[in-house]
Parts: sequence; C-alpha cells; structure tokens
Amino acid sequence: MGGMTSYFLRRILLMIPTFLGITIVFFFVLQIVPGGPLEQELLKLRMGAAEMGGEGAGGGGGSDFGGMAIPEEAMEEMKKFYGMDKPIHIRYVSWLWNVVNLDLGTSYVYSEPVWDTIKRRFPVSIYFGLFGFILSYAICVPLGVAKAVKHGSKFDVGSSLLVLTGYSIPGWALGAVMLVLLGGGSFWDVFPLGEFRSETWEDMSIIGKILDQFYHTVLPLVAYTIGSFATLTVLMKNSLLENMGQDYVRTAFAKGLPEKSVIFIHALRNSLIPIATGIGHLIGVFLAGSYLIERVFNIDGLGMLGFTSILSRDYPVTLGFLVIAGIIRLMGNLTSDMTYALVDPRIRFK
Amino acid sequence: MTEQIKTVYKSESLMAKRIRKFRSIKRGYYSFIIITIGYLISFLSPFLMNYKALVISYDDQLYFPVVNYYPSDTFGVDGFGEANYRDLKGEFKAADNGNWVIMPLYSYGPYESLTDRRSEPPNEPSLQHWFGTDDRGRDVFVRLAYGFNISLSFALIYVAISFLIGISIGASLGYYGGKLDIYAQRFIEIWAAIPFLYTVIIISSILKPNFGLLIFVLSLFGWIGMTYFMRGEFYREKAKDYVHAAIAMGATDFKVIFKHILPNSLVPVITFGPFMIVGAISSLVALDFLGFGLPPPTASWGELVGQGMSNIFSWWLVLFPLLAMAVTLLMVVFIGEAVRQAFDPKEFSRLR
Repeated sequence: MGGMTSYFLRRILLMIPTFLGITIVFFFVLQIVPGGPLEQELLKLRMGAAEMGGEGAGGGGGSDFGGMAIPEEAMEEMKKFYGMDKPIHIRYVSWLWNVVNLDLGTSYVYSEPVWDTIKRRFPVSIYFGLFGFILSYAICVPLGVAKAVKHGSKFDVGSSLLVLTGYSIPGWALGAVMLVLLGGGSFWDVFPLGEFRSETWEDMSIIGKILDQFYHTVLPLVAYTIGSFATLTVLMKNSLLENMGQDYVRTAFAKGLPEKSVIFIHALRNSLIPIATGIGHLIGVFLAGSYLIERVFNIDGLGMLGFTSILSRDYPVTLGFLVIAGIIRLMGNLTSDMTYALVDPRIRFK
Repeated sequence: MTEQIKTVYKSESLMAKRIRKFRSIKRGYYSFIIITIGYLISFLSPFLMNYKALVISYDDQLYFPVVNYYPSDTFGVDGFGEANYRDLKGEFKAADNGNWVIMPLYSYGPYESLTDRRSEPPNEPSLQHWFGTDDRGRDVFVRLAYGFNISLSFALIYVAISFLIGISIGASLGYYGGKLDIYAQRFIEIWAAIPFLYTVIIISSILKPNFGLLIFVLSLFGWIGMTYFMRGEFYREKAKDYVHAAIAMGATDFKVIFKHILPNSLVPVITFGPFMIVGAISSLVALDFLGFGLPPPTASWGELVGQGMSNIFSWWLVLFPLLAMAVTLLMVVFIGEAVRQAFDPKEFSRLR
C-alpha cells in the first residue's frame, strides 16, 4: 500500500506543472491578443465621444486616442482597473498568487467575485452531468455486454448501426433536432423549448415541481448521453470479447461451468476494468459542461458561463472557468487512475 | 520466360490483400465510392447549381454567363448589373424569336438573396426551393451542396496537416528518445489537457477567422492523439534488427526514419484518418453554429443550424443541414470502420 500512496503523491505533484502550463497558455493568449477588455472599453468611450459630437474632447492635455482625447489620469485608472499597468509576467504571478489563495478575482460583468458567479452554475451542471453519466452507463454497459454475448448475430449487426449513427451525430446536434421535432415548433409539442425549469417553478406544488423538472430534463439528458454512447458501448463490447478469448475462460468452460456463469461471473468482472477506469474521465467531461448543449437548450450552466464570458470579454470569469474546469478534469483523470489501481489487482506500483 | 515465372509466383502483396479486404466490406466500400464521387462532383457545383445561365443564344451569338460577366443590356434588358437569367429564359421563350437560354440543373446560387418574393424569408420548402430558403432568402439546398465541398475540403486539409505534424513529432520522439522525449512528453501532456474547442472559440472571437486560420488553429490540437501512437511505434521498431542493420551500413538518421521505419509504422496510422475527418467536420459545424467558424457569407451547415435555432418554426433550417451532416459523417464512419477492419484485423476467438 505504501507504493500506491507514493505513486499517487507523485501523480498529484505532476499535476501541478500541467495545471500551471494550461493557465500560462490561456493567460498569455487572453492578454496578448488584441481586442481585450481595455480596448473594448476604449472603443466604447471613443464611440460615445464621437456620438456626443466631440464635446468631451475639451479636457485637454490628455493622450490622443483615435482623434479623441482621453485624460491621462482616466487612462491610468482604467489600465489599473483591468490590471494592465504592470508587465504581463508580473500580472500572471499576482493572478496565480490570488488563485492559490482561493481568490479568482472580480467579474467585470457581474461585479461580484468570480467564484460566486461560477458557484451559482454548479447545481445545474452537476445535475445534468451526474444524470447523464448514470444514464449512459446504465444503457451502454448492458448493451455492450449483450452485443458481445451475441457477437455476429442480427442483434449485434443491427445495434452496431445504431451505435455508428450515434457516433456520427454530436449530442448538441441531436438536441437541436429533438428540439425542433418535439419542442412545439412546427411538429409535436411534447417538451418545453429548453431552459432548466419553468419561470413559475418556485410557485408549483411538489408534484408540479418534479414533473416540470422532468419535462425540462428529458431532451438535454438524451443529448448528454449520446455523446458517450458509441464509445462506451464499443469499449464494453470489445473488452468482454477480448476476455472471452482468454485462457481462464477456456478453463472455466473446460471444468464444465454453464455458459452463463462463465460469462457473467468470470469474464464480465474482468472486462469491467476498462469501463470502471473511464468513470473519472467521463465525470470530468460531464461536469465541465457542454456549452454546445447548454446553448441549444438555453441552460444557464457552467459551460454557458464560460462561453458568454468570452463574448463579453469578462476575462476573470473566463480564466476562473478554465481553472475550475481544469481542476475538475485533472481530478477526473486522477480518479480514473485510482479506480484502475483499486479494481485491477495486476497493477503494481514501483 | 522470366515474365511468366514472375506472374506465376508473385504472391498477393500485403497492400493488395488489404484493398481486397476493404472492398469486401460493402458498407464501407460503397460509402467510399459515393463520398469520392460526390466530392469530385461538388467541385462542379457552379455549373450545376447557379443563377447564372450556362449558355445563352442571343441574336445568333453565343454567350457563357457562368464564366463571363455580361451587363444586362447585352441581352436587351434594362437595369444595372447582370440580367436575371431565370426571367430571361421565360421571356425568350415567350417571344419565340430564336433566342434561348440554358440554365444549370438547379438555377439558384448560394449567395443569391431572393428577397423579392412575396413572403418574408425564411421560406418553406417548395418546388422551386427544395429545402426552403434561409433568413436572407438564400436557397438552403444549394448552400448545403456548396457546404459539403467546403466541409470536406476543410477536413481533408486539416487531416493532412495534422498527420504531417503528428508523424514528424511522434517519429522524432520515438526515434531519438532521451531528454528530448521526456521534455516533449511533459509539454504534450499540457497541450492535451487544454480544452481545444474552447481555445478555438477564444481565438476566433478575437481574430476574424477564415478558412486558413481555422485549419491552422484546429491542426494545432489535431496531431496529439497520433503522436502517442507514432512515438510508441518508432520506439518499438527502433530496436528491431533491420534498423540496426541499416544503421550499421551507414544510413543517415533521415534515411532510417523515412525509408526504413516510416513505411512500417505508417499503415496503422491511416486508420486514424476517417475518424479525424469526422471530428473535423463536426467541430467545424459546431463552430459555425456558435458563430465562430467560417466568415459569412460562406455556405456552411452550422450557420444554417444557428439560424434555425433562433427561428424555431423554420424546421428546415435545422433538420436538413443536420441530416446532411449526419449522413456524411455516417458514411465516413463506415469507411473508417472498413479501413480499420482491412488494415488492422482483429478476429475475436470466441471460445464455444
């Protein structure tokens, strides 16, 4: 067990440079490229000044900016507000220091700590992430097993077509199709047009609340699930098939065990190992949210926040989102490795 | 004599065997034929789907508006710019004085706004516009057809570039190993942990994206998966006797890498190709849908879906582009499945 502890300690330590690398890349990309928040603000000022017919230009003694004068002090103040008054590596270090001290900065748009902005979106993303995750395992594992057991049969070939189709349609695209067909546009009005809940949700009875939530959940959940449907099913199938060709299965058959117990007791247990190790990766992907699906269904989750923060140049939120999503993802990978070590006794740590 | 012996004793090469196997997998083989022919034909789109006439005979002289520009008064029509060749065809027919117009099979262009209709665009599918029109009155069917060419070209170039980068990096890491390998591995690990679609969105929200820039940015992330594979492959091959022999005979690193090892490791990598095409096309459609893809007025599938999501009653704007995407991707997946089976056969021996 000592070997395992030190192995994971090393893994966690190795995550630090990876995490630093990601934040450096994004920090520099966001700060170096033109069109950042400061430029946007200046542009707004310039347009405003132009609209006023140059009345504001009488300040005098200011720096010349696109024909309009912006007072020196105002410029300095603005630079300071956006943190642009220091060189970029200093800015990065101070940003990083704040992150380490659990301070992600203040959102330009919401004028509140970034953490609060992100925290508010967590329940929605966890809700869909968790249910999507459970649903995809609940469907894909039995389907993969059935396909492996009946390898080459009509059922296997037929469901392969379904799996390949699922692979060819991204979740958000299927979501869009379902929304058009079932959302009450031109065809059937079965499900609501997106959103997490109805606006009147707070005033509903308990049963009404549950039903309303359910109606709003079905379509996005299907879209979330389709994303991992194909890979997970094929992984399960191939894993079981591989195990059924192993010597220990031959032995089990040779000693006269019935087919059912050979497959479901001996082979299945081992073939679940790669499936179990995928859990961490998948949780990471689900939780970080799919902004495409959230956008199609107009759900105000974590992914949507990350997306809109780019549009509104709310860089503290963008960076905060990346930090949180990155941590979730790295934790997911770590969980995968740990699961692997726990379920597969062959894994030994040096 | 020697000719004869050759033909008698020549056994089927590995490649020939693979191609035979590929052709025997009907689903993938036919998809390959359909996609290839469709893609080649799509280069002729301007001659098949256009609002410009192919040939006009006017006062016993031939004109070719599809390749040349003629002001409208050339054909005795008042107005600025080009004549409306669809109307012209009807007029010539009605006048019946020996003039004629040959229109393309489908006589609407991809950028042509048909806003002079009586109803507001987007218009429902009809006999004139098989898949309806979009919110600027452009024919959806034509835009889908042009979009097919753009999407596939995009994906093919992207895959080619990613292959080039991935193979070179993977090969040099596996071949040289050592410190280079260790440091590069750390770097790749960081690179792989970056959420790439999000990065692309950031970059294209700031720089105005175009075809080349989008391919460049996507390729920056496309090579990673293949690099792991190539690295492992080169690492393994390097230890084999034929490589030692080549080095002993004085072959340069360049020669060993490209002439001796690469042909042996390249084949399994080819099976990555179709699935990378699927990834590239769906990424492009997603980016276009979000509004961070190819610049307007490029004919794009994702942009139509984006329009459809804001006009939920215009079902044809969502269903037809996504159907086009799904059918295309499904066929590419079929190809990929067949290529994988042909190049990397994995027979499962089922006991009992």
